[in-house]
Amino acid sequence: MSVDATLPAPGQPETSPRLPIAVALLWLAAITASALPWLDQLLPSQLVSAFWSFDGDQYASVLAHFSWAPRVSMAVLIGCALGLAGAVTQQVLGNPLASPTTLGVEAGGQFGVTLATLFAPGLLAFSPDLAAVAGGLLAIGLVVLLTWRLGFSPVSVILAGLVVTFFLGAINMAFLLLKGEWLGNLFIWGAGSLIQNNWTPFFDLLPRVVVIAALLLALLRPLQLLQLGQASANSLGAKVSLLRAAALFLVVIMSSVVVSRVGVVAFVGLAAPVLARLLGARTLTERLLWSTLAGGGLLLLADTLAHWATTWDGGSLVPTGTTTALIGGPIILLALQGFRNTHHMPGQEASPAAFLPRRRSPVAVAGVLCSLLAVTITLSMGWSPGLEGWNWTPLVQWTEAWVWRGPRLMAAILAGMALGMAGTLIQRMTGNPMGSPELLGISGGAGLVMVVLVLTGLDIGRPGQLAAATAGAAGALGLLLLLARKHHFAGNQLLLGGLALYVFMDAGLRLVMASGGTVASRLLNWMYGSTWLIPESEAFALLALVVGLGTLLLLTLRPLTLLPLGDTPASSLGLPVARARLLLLVLAAVLTAASTVVIGPLSFVGLIAPHLARVLGQQTVGRQLMVAALAGGLLLSLADYLARILVYPNQLPAGLLAALVGGLYFLWGLSRHGRG
Amino acid sequence: MSTSPRALVVGALLLLVPILGLTQTWSHEGGKLTLNKPPERIVALNWAATESLLLLGITPVGVADMAGYGTWVREPELPEEVANVGTRVAPSLEAIAELKPDLIVTSTEMAPAAELLERIAPTYVISVYKQGARPYDKAREMLLTLGEMTDRKDRAELVLADIEKTLEEQRERLEQAGVTGKPVALVNFLDDRHVRIYTPNGLFQTALDNLGLTNAWQDTGNYWGFSVTGLESIAEVPDSRIIAIEPLVPGLADSLANSPFWTYLPPVQNHEIYQVPAAWPFGGVYPVKRLAVALADALIDGGSDNVR
Repeated sequence: MSVDATLPAPGQPETSPRLPIAVALLWLAAITASALPWLDQLLPSQLVSAFWSFDGDQYASVLAHFSWAPRVSMAVLIGCALGLAGAVTQQVLGNPLASPTTLGVEAGGQFGVTLATLFAPGLLAFSPDLAAVAGGLLAIGLVVLLTWRLGFSPVSVILAGLVVTFFLGAINMAFLLLKGEWLGNLFIWGAGSLIQNNWTPFFDLLPRVVVIAALLLALLRPLQLLQLGQASANSLGAKVSLLRAAALFLVVIMSSVVVSRVGVVAFVGLAAPVLARLLGARTLTERLLWSTLAGGGLLLLADTLAHWATTWDGGSLVPTGTTTALIGGPIILLALQGFRNTHHMPGQEASPAAFLPRRRSPVAVAGVLCSLLAVTITLSMGWSPGLEGWNWTPLVQWTEAWVWRGPRLMAAILAGMALGMAGTLIQRMTGNPMGSPELLGISGGAGLVMVVLVLTGLDIGRPGQLAAATAGAAGALGLLLLLARKHHFAGNQLLLGGLALYVFMDAGLRLVMASGGTVASRLLNWMYGSTWLIPESEAFALLALVVGLGTLLLLTLRPLTLLPLGDTPASSLGLPVARARLLLLVLAAVLTAASTVVIGPLSFVGLIAPHLARVLGQQTVGRQLMVAALAGGLLLSLADYLARILVYPNQLPAGLLAALVGGLYFLWGLSRHGRG
Repeated sequence: MSTSPRALVVGALLLLVPILGLTQTWSHEGGKLTLNKPPERIVALNWAATESLLLLGITPVGVADMAGYGTWVREPELPEEVANVGTRVAPSLEAIAELKPDLIVTSTEMAPAAELLERIAPTYVISVYKQGARPYDKAREMLLTLGEMTDRKDRAELVLADIEKTLEEQRERLEQAGVTGKPVALVNFLDDRHVRIYTPNGLFQTALDNLGLTNAWQDTGNYWGFSVTGLESIAEVPDSRIIAIEPLVPGLADSLANSPFWTYLPPVQNHEIYQVPAAWPFGGVYPVKRLAVALADALIDGGSDNVR
């Protein structure tokens, strides 16, 4: 058959010998590290026999049999399961970035279990899997639905997955914040912990994983045909979509049964196949096999590191989710080198010429936005709940009301404007309509610095925070520009870079989450924006900053228009390219940092506002900047108002509401964009 | 009856004395605080402060996370009519302002909002829980200072004397029963795999110290005085007793009974698992008394081989 001719037969010399050696080394390192702490209490032979027996008189042996051995087995089993699931996902979607994590499946599973814990604990007792599977299916369902029209274009699938992850994550966080004290166990579980104290969970999970793996392998042969490419596979008929759906369904179940038992051990399903590919796995069989094995080794290593870190930390739990994220980040960065840039961002191919809504008068659009903003400001200042119910504050009392409602509203509007401008700036600089401070990890860079500040307990005040966050944002942006310059700011590299930054931030977040409710609540409150903390003085300082930067931006309109043309044309038009680029970089970083300190790194406003401006028909740089700033301000002022009134006297972080609204808009925009 | 003008002047001066005498200044973690008269409308932004006020016989006009107090702290009881001002990490400043308080009690956790709180009312900042602090000493200081501010110093001293007396009595009970020897591990079960273990830098250590008991866990935890850890960490101190503090996760007893890891644990084998009713580990002085009594009762009643 012609199909076979194109596939190298097993055992052919092209299989890189690096692969088995590297994976064997990984396993060796993981097992040695895992066994090391036990060897001063037990003989190696006793330790090996701990997997099937124990000596009731020697507690170390009991401990090894019921705590260590099941934990090792669990890590290997889950690692293999996720490695396989990741490799299959990549194959099915023809997407080197796909994995249960990046498709939002794990976040969905977590979402399902959180909801069940709060509203239907009986369901969890009946079957822990149901809620997680339902959540996972919801997540991937959203992703599939949204990207259907785009023909699952790889990068848009990942984008949609990322947004679904943030979106479901935001709802999750809202519950954790409002119900934190009740959900101490959810904090730990969400952070991912593989601690075991008997074999039941392992033997519970084993048959499920084996059955799902067998089913997946049964799809191996048809999957192999898929590898030949969409065109030839299509000739096989409608079965292709069915096959993909079946495989994805199995992947969801696989990830969900794992999530429902040990929480989110993110990025193993992404890192394992990436590692296998980097080490030279070529054919599908090779990739599935080595990805599975690499997954097991990786998770065992990550879990052992978590265990070690726990010991160093005075017994305070370091969740495995933290270490998988710490290992996953560098592997993703490594992968940056390995991928050919064959994929484009959605919107990239549909360059401005192909995506041109009707031009509208900027004055009219700005006028409408301004009046909406005025309405929001009036509502926010005047119509509020109090301890005695809702009431309308008369205009004469606004000076009093200003103290509590004014500065936060002003800060929210300014942060929104800053994000709108930063987003436009970055989109123009990268020439990519999907580039935004959030998705490219620039907010993530600022967020990472803030997480580190919280973790180390340093108190450096607002100006210090702003400086540190600016450094973080500038670092992230500079790194991205450096990495992406040779790829012309397109495709995987940018996204991967942003993803890797989030991975690191995630690692810190998980560590804090596992350490206990109160600390975590404070961090989460900040992460999603605590506008309520802003006093007048800071609001006015922010005003000065944003107005100053805005003015500066107006002076850089020319370089902004010229830079996307490319370095050579730009410099031939008399632009000092290097200096202009540096200036813009610093501007974007300061704008992003200023808004991140106020609203947190996850608000999506930097993505939506410039997009809205274009949808509203503003094509030139200056107009887009202005309208995006207004739209951003409007969005966050609304979010701040809702955050204050929805659950009064409790409050939600404003950034969280913005993320919810923004996520919805983006999901809607993505599907609509694809239809066009 | 006639009064001389001189007597009137003297009388008037005497009336002034308490007023002048009451303009007092306290220095606290957030700076200085001056009060002209004992505050009457007090807002408490954490449960340790709420508890201290209630112990002094003062009903705060507003507290943070009122429903949570009823579930987690319970004692001393909080009257229903108190207003809720929002969560403990992000209270509603506007709701606080609406109550027109004349004193706000909070901790450095709220430091970012200090400037705004000061605009509403004089703010007394004291952190029972922060890096390097001894929670009980701080809680004691808070109670005494609040007593001074509200002109209820005697009451504060009575409360403290009562707690000391209770601790002394319970220590004697334990010594008579001869059950003070083995170290105890104070834990909250988060699920059947993870526990929150109370460390020597926490509030509960004061109860242990005064009862003549040793903490089985010697590592310092976070500044709240606990570490979250895997159940297997308990096994590292085999010669100990385990005190499980309620509330317990539903179904915990069953899942632990099915875990040979648990059943082989030396304290389980020795029937040295004790269960005590909930005491709020992040409160003021009162939970120490509550825990001490519960602990003495439980240890004297004898342990079992599982939680209930």
